[in-house]
Amino acid sequence: MIFDFLNYLINGALVGLLYALVAMGFVVIYRASKVFNMAQGELVVFGGFMVWWMIAQVGLPLSIGLPLAFAAAILFGLAIERIFFSRLAGESVFAMVMVTIGLLILIRGLILVLFGPAVRPFPIVFPLKPIIFGDILIPRSLLFGGLITIVVGFGLSWFFNRTRTGLRMTAVAEDHEVALSMGISVKRSIAFAWALGSALSTIGAVIYLSGKSLSFLASDIGLSALPVALLAGFESIAGVLLAGLIVGTIQGLVTAYVDPVVGGAVGSVFPFLIMLAILFIRPTGMFGWKIIQRV
Amino acid sequence: MDPAGVFATSFEADAALIRTRKQWLALALFALLLIALPWLIGPRLLAILTVMLISAVVAVGLQINTGYAGQINLGQAAFMGVGAYVAGALAAGWALPFWLTIPLGGLAAAAFGFAFGLSAVRIKGFYLALTTIAAQSLFHFSILNLPWFGGSNGVTLAPASLFGFELSSDRSLYYLCLTLTTVMVCGAFGIVRGRHGRAFIAVRDDDVAAGMMGINVVRTKATAFLIGAFYAGIGGAMWAYFVRFVAVDQFTLFHSIWFIAMVIVGGMGSITGALIGVFIIKAMQETFVTLGPSLVSYIPSLGGDIVYSVMNVFLGGVIAAFLIFEPRGLMHRWNIMKQSYRMWPFPY
Repeated sequence: MIFDFLNYLINGALVGLLYALVAMGFVVIYRASKVFNMAQGELVVFGGFMVWWMIAQVGLPLSIGLPLAFAAAILFGLAIERIFFSRLAGESVFAMVMVTIGLLILIRGLILVLFGPAVRPFPIVFPLKPIIFGDILIPRSLLFGGLITIVVGFGLSWFFNRTRTGLRMTAVAEDHEVALSMGISVKRSIAFAWALGSALSTIGAVIYLSGKSLSFLASDIGLSALPVALLAGFESIAGVLLAGLIVGTIQGLVTAYVDPVVGGAVGSVFPFLIMLAILFIRPTGMFGWKIIQRV
Repeated sequence: MDPAGVFATSFEADAALIRTRKQWLALALFALLLIALPWLIGPRLLAILTVMLISAVVAVGLQINTGYAGQINLGQAAFMGVGAYVAGALAAGWALPFWLTIPLGGLAAAAFGFAFGLSAVRIKGFYLALTTIAAQSLFHFSILNLPWFGGSNGVTLAPASLFGFELSSDRSLYYLCLTLTTVMVCGAFGIVRGRHGRAFIAVRDDDVAAGMMGINVVRTKATAFLIGAFYAGIGGAMWAYFVRFVAVDQFTLFHSIWFIAMVIVGGMGSITGALIGVFIIKAMQETFVTLGPSLVSYIPSLGGDIVYSVMNVFLGGVIAAFLIFEPRGLMHRWNIMKQSYRMWPFPY
């Protein structure tokens, strides 16, 4: 009984860290360009397909295939910036969000055109055998993924809060025009954001999909990660880790203990309830900048 | 801007939507065409046209909410779904007639939308849009788990009937939808040039300034959601009677995005624009669906799935292209053309 509980708790927390990684993609893009990227889930799927294509299709070994896949994903992010967002610098938030919604559809279509709707086996990056402590089973991919997430999270947090380049990007997130007038290149910042965002999404894809099946439907994780980003506040990178742990454990426990009672997918809708609660109680999240105006 | 020689001499004339004889004539011809169409085209085109009419109601609602009041709404399909399910369940469970279930469906959707519009008390802008995504997933969840809506089996309902006539043929359904759409669109024109419409526009352009002028901003935003969701609900109820089978996967986030695409392509802040957007997007969709298979039969290596995916690429590209190159949509382009035509040969 207690072991079951621990199992749910630990797995929930690790899944939460995975959400945190995807949410970090949101936050990084927001933090460096003030664009809220609705197409994050699609970036994850694109990264996943790049990895799959390099390793399963072309037949490269992991050590070469993975870096190449990351390079491809980063190039893709840069291309998105070049084609869409470099023309939109300084435009309204509305236009930006709408463009990312257009991107969501576009990338999904692109993936379908390039790779088709079939479900593919994703290459096994992390060994499938779970780590076993007594009665507790921990999937290796999630454990390693969690560690990577924590390292990346603190690294990026340091980068954005302590380095000169990171602070420049933060200025872009605050106001495009002010940043421009301070001599900061908004375009370069946005380009960097998208490159970083798609790289993070690819890491997310590797952890999420390792040894599982890949299809365009995996993009749902983008929406699941939304409440995490919101709970942390869109500007906080390290905060995403904590928010991911919270949302993940709650969701894990709800799925384990409430779903059988109610007989439905409470676990899957619960993050959205959390999201609504956050929006009503504290829209800036736990660590966000307190600049949200309300009327 | 009016054509040369047309001057409004009274307030009524200045506020009129239709200002010249030729415009009356064009409108009358268009109405005649809409009435005559069922006898001119085949059943497949008629079905497409009916779907267009239904989508028009939903898109006009979204236009009021997003285009006029400036509130991004990513849950329009969920609001439509609420209308469809409530109308369907009332018709199937209590055997209520359609002239009761359709308004009730609209009201139910309006209540649902209003609840989300109320979150404007706390948040605005993009955060408000996020609550509508939550609406989408909450809708999905509640429909599948609430006892009245048949869960994943959906709701099957009998055809609408009026004075003993069954409205189940393509033509009768078309006329039913045409009547309702006309009423709703006329209503929309009324709303947006009335007191509420002016409040919407003021809030869209600058909500702080609107508040200064004495507009109750929160109430205006919530009203916008209420009206937008009401339209969606009516459209959903029409949809329920059109397909006579309501299922939860007819109202996904993706459908909401299609509605947004219609509004963007047609032009933000114009009811006519919403109608044009519906026509163009739906026509494009149907062209892809119709031409796709024959194209695939010529080039078999493409595979059947390609149609759907190319449509997605195209749609996503169209949304992005419009936002980048013509954020105000086709209606704006049309107005520019009309104006320069009326000015000609003078530059201004």
